[in-house]
Amino acid sequence: MGEANKLLIVDDNEDIISVFYEFFNSLGYEVKTATDGLAALKILKERSHFFDCLITDLVMPNIGGVGLISIVKKEYPDIKIIAMTGYGDHPGSLASEAKADVVLFKPVEMSKIENKVLELINQENDKQ
Amino acid sequence: MSTPLIGVSKSILKIKELIKHVSNTCLNVLITGETGVGKEVVAQSLYTESARSSKNFVKINCAALPETLLESELYGYEKGAFTGAHKKRPGKFQTADKGVLFLDEIGDMPMALQSKMLHVLQSGEFSPLGSDQEFKTDVWVIAATNHNLEESMTKKTFREDLFYRLNIIKIDIPPLRDRKEDIPSLIEYYFRLYQSEYPDNQGTRPDADILEKLCNYPWPGNVRQLQNCIKKQMILNSWDKIFEELPKEHPEINLNPLNAHQQNGASFYANNSFSNDRTKIISEFVDLSTSSDKLFEDISLKKIKKLASDKVEKEVITFVLEKVGWNRSRASKILKISYKTLLYKMNEFEVHPPVK
Repeated sequence: MGEANKLLIVDDNEDIISVFYEFFNSLGYEVKTATDGLAALKILKERSHFFDCLITDLVMPNIGGVGLISIVKKEYPDIKIIAMTGYGDHPGSLASEAKADVVLFKPVEMSKIENKVLELINQENDKQ
Repeated sequence: MSTPLIGVSKSILKIKELIKHVSNTCLNVLITGETGVGKEVVAQSLYTESARSSKNFVKINCAALPETLLESELYGYEKGAFTGAHKKRPGKFQTADKGVLFLDEIGDMPMALQSKMLHVLQSGEFSPLGSDQEFKTDVWVIAATNHNLEESMTKKTFREDLFYRLNIIKIDIPPLRDRKEDIPSLIEYYFRLYQSEYPDNQGTRPDADILEKLCNYPWPGNVRQLQNCIKKQMILNSWDKIFEELPKEHPEINLNPLNAHQQNGASFYANNSFSNDRTKIISEFVDLSTSSDKLFEDISLKKIKKLASDKVEKEVITFVLEKVGWNRSRASKILKISYKTLLYKMNEFEVHPPVK
């Protein structure tokens, strides 16, 4: 097995963050977390080529998920993005417009999210 | 020259940092905060730090104009579009092209214009009144409001899709009373500003005692109110007078409105056929002790409905939270609302866990 896949998880709900952290960590992923878009951008700035995939909530304070996705797609186009929303259709369609690779509607099973992560990362590896 | 964003509080420093990160993204921004906190100052800072600073910063106040006028101001019109349109006039979207369009008081925009605004934000195209031609526009939209738009959406006075499209970057400016540490630097800033503007009037700066008083005043009108005070001080040069003229710190907060109303309003009810129970309930939400003319002005079913439902919601939320040991995620499941809605409501109703 090669290097661990690296994930950045962004959500303003700390409970969700810890569930994600535990889940992906136990599967051997290297996981970093942030509670809003600005915090996430600061992490990305420090380690721009580090992450394979970003999983982000959409409705958050300061830089929301849609803003984060737009900025990341422009500045770090290699990072795959999964957007998650529990706020109905509007934020979800804005996330697609911002070119999120996958948009998931909550509630969503953790295993399904992991499948999507693997799919996206493998796609990228196949390309290389 | 535009006013810089002054302050040393954590929230202002965070806003400054946020501005640096987003000023070149051109992503829609929504600035929220009470009247006078400095929403326009933040919008100006975003503009000044962006690559668009050599182009126009165009401001429009959506609350100040009637619907049809607002529409023609925003989009412009062709000659003959309506009576009085003697010549073609460009709208703000055109003047702001390649620059910034600052939509102040967006929460007051009429519904019909909200859908038109949504269309422009989605497509980047608009057509002036009386024209069937669509024009491309490249504006950075920064909107501001002192309304709670989440609430306006529930009341259906603000479109959800427009809200989410504007709310890509959200900058919330806290009221001045929540960031007292900014007050001394704001005072200093405005003193210098007015000293250079009115060199003949030399008001004295506050001494330590007065500064403390100024820092402890709750500033319901926020930075703008403080600014006006400094301006007055330059002319009056009397802090005593300034404090005299400030609205009272706690405008008669009545801790037990029910009893107070029963005392004050007793004779008023006695001459009326209200039953006691009824007046008791009503007096929780309306001041029944005022004259009937004034009273009828104050009775708005919509307002009372909101006050009443807020009151009950607050009690229910506190009740459930206490039952589940302040486990918010359990409470939200019991209440059948989302976790975020619960946090929002706790914040709105100031429901806090007991301090251990």
